[in-house]
Amino acid sequence: MVIITLQRAKCIGCNYCVELAPAQFQMSKKDGKSVLLHSKEKKGFFTLKSSDYTIFDDSIKAKEACPVKIIGIKQT
Amino acid sequence: MQKIELMAPAGNFESLQAALDNGADSIYFGVEQLNMRARASINFTLEDLQEISDRCKAKNVRTYLTLNTIIYDHDLSIVKTLLQKSKDADITAVIAMDQAVIASARAIGMEVHISTQINITNIETARFYAMFADTMVLSRELSLRQVKKITEQIEKENICGPSGKLLEIEIFGHGALCMAVSGKCYMSLHSYNSSANRGACKQNCRKKYTVIDQETGIEMELDNEYIMSPKDLCTIDFLDQIADAGVKVLKIEGRGRAPEYVAKVIKCYRDAIDSIEAGTYNKEKVISWMLELEKVYNRGFWSGYYLGQKLGEWSNGSGSHATQKKVYLGKGMHYYPKANIGEFKIEAYDISIGDTILITGPTTGAQEMEVKEMYVNDVKGEKATKGDSCTIPLEFRIRPSDKLYKIVKNTVEA
Repeated sequence: MVIITLQRAKCIGCNYCVELAPAQFQMSKKDGKSVLLHSKEKKGFFTLKSSDYTIFDDSIKAKEACPVKIIGIKQT
Repeated sequence: MQKIELMAPAGNFESLQAALDNGADSIYFGVEQLNMRARASINFTLEDLQEISDRCKAKNVRTYLTLNTIIYDHDLSIVKTLLQKSKDADITAVIAMDQAVIASARAIGMEVHISTQINITNIETARFYAMFADTMVLSRELSLRQVKKITEQIEKENICGPSGKLLEIEIFGHGALCMAVSGKCYMSLHSYNSSANRGACKQNCRKKYTVIDQETGIEMELDNEYIMSPKDLCTIDFLDQIADAGVKVLKIEGRGRAPEYVAKVIKCYRDAIDSIEAGTYNKEKVISWMLELEKVYNRGFWSGYYLGQKLGEWSNGSGSHATQKKVYLGKGMHYYPKANIGEFKIEAYDISIGDTILITGPTTGAQEMEVKEMYVNDVKGEKATKGDSCTIPLEFRIRPSDKLYKIVKNTVEA
């Protein structure tokens, strides 16, 4: 299982995550912040649990590039 | 001569109130992520706009929304929302850099001010932006002689903004300066992916560096290792020359700084501007203001580029040279309005008669005072320590969310 989290409120809308992992992230046209696709929200944290391990590499790149360090990736 | 407008930074409600209490003519602030302090401070949200506007209008203080990062396509919608909501809340103007923001603001008839990020350094650029903006800040790297030439030309040619009034020139008066030309820097972006131009500067220029020749491996000897960290700008000692240069607005940097910083700096500059107006500006006053300014966060002071002096006054430390610092003591518990007494719970260190204390809060702002009398656990006392309840006569109201600090001497780290 790959678990991706996004602490969305702190996003500054730089677009790096979308450039590096376009299958997981998209910029919201509404508030200009990143959206973690197919995720569920709990207390400001958006979480996506996926059994597709191929998303891991791109997601890690997005996590490392994020200037405000709000993306978390876990592999179980 | 028109009196200089004093513009204060408001990173949060504490600083906003401190600016209002100490005589700012206008304040600037950021909402959500699209401003130059997207990372550094806790920004206001859309819901705060009305309160910002109301609090400032009650004191006849103008309000400027900073919306001055570079803008991508995905930002366009939030830009429009921010502008419309600001206009609805009767915010005075928007400080803009990107043409998209300028165009969107003009489309809804909102007043535009040009951000430092545009780096205006000549009269033709000023004339160009006068098509859209009523006020513009000049590049921080100009000398006052160059500033004066621009303001004289504006007057001579009667260059007006969209409001029909003469274009107003603003300059930076006090606070952090950086290596880059008026903030246009890519160092943080290239080293940490964290773009200064999206408000996420990591300030890695403030660290120590050595310079090594790649070919020979020889390390250059440097007098000061903080080769990219300039001292902070301070203009209070030549503010008369700034007024003489035709500057109409003096901007104080520091949305990322503490409320007591805003209070202290605004109070000094308020006094200085009023003194110039009254013809009582003199050296003795300058000395006393400088002593006050040194008490709060600073990297040492220099006059920037305005006086055309030698370049590069580098800071000799990574942190502050402030002569004072605050120590957290506790929090506000209750205020007795009839007796004008505030009750605090002491959670750390101690407080004694004669101490200078600082009380900060979103509505209280930043109030500094000396303790002349106090009650400890309902008994008249000299000193209260951790765990005690302490009541102090106050000339202002406090709230339960307020924080109590003690101001102590700071041993300067080099």
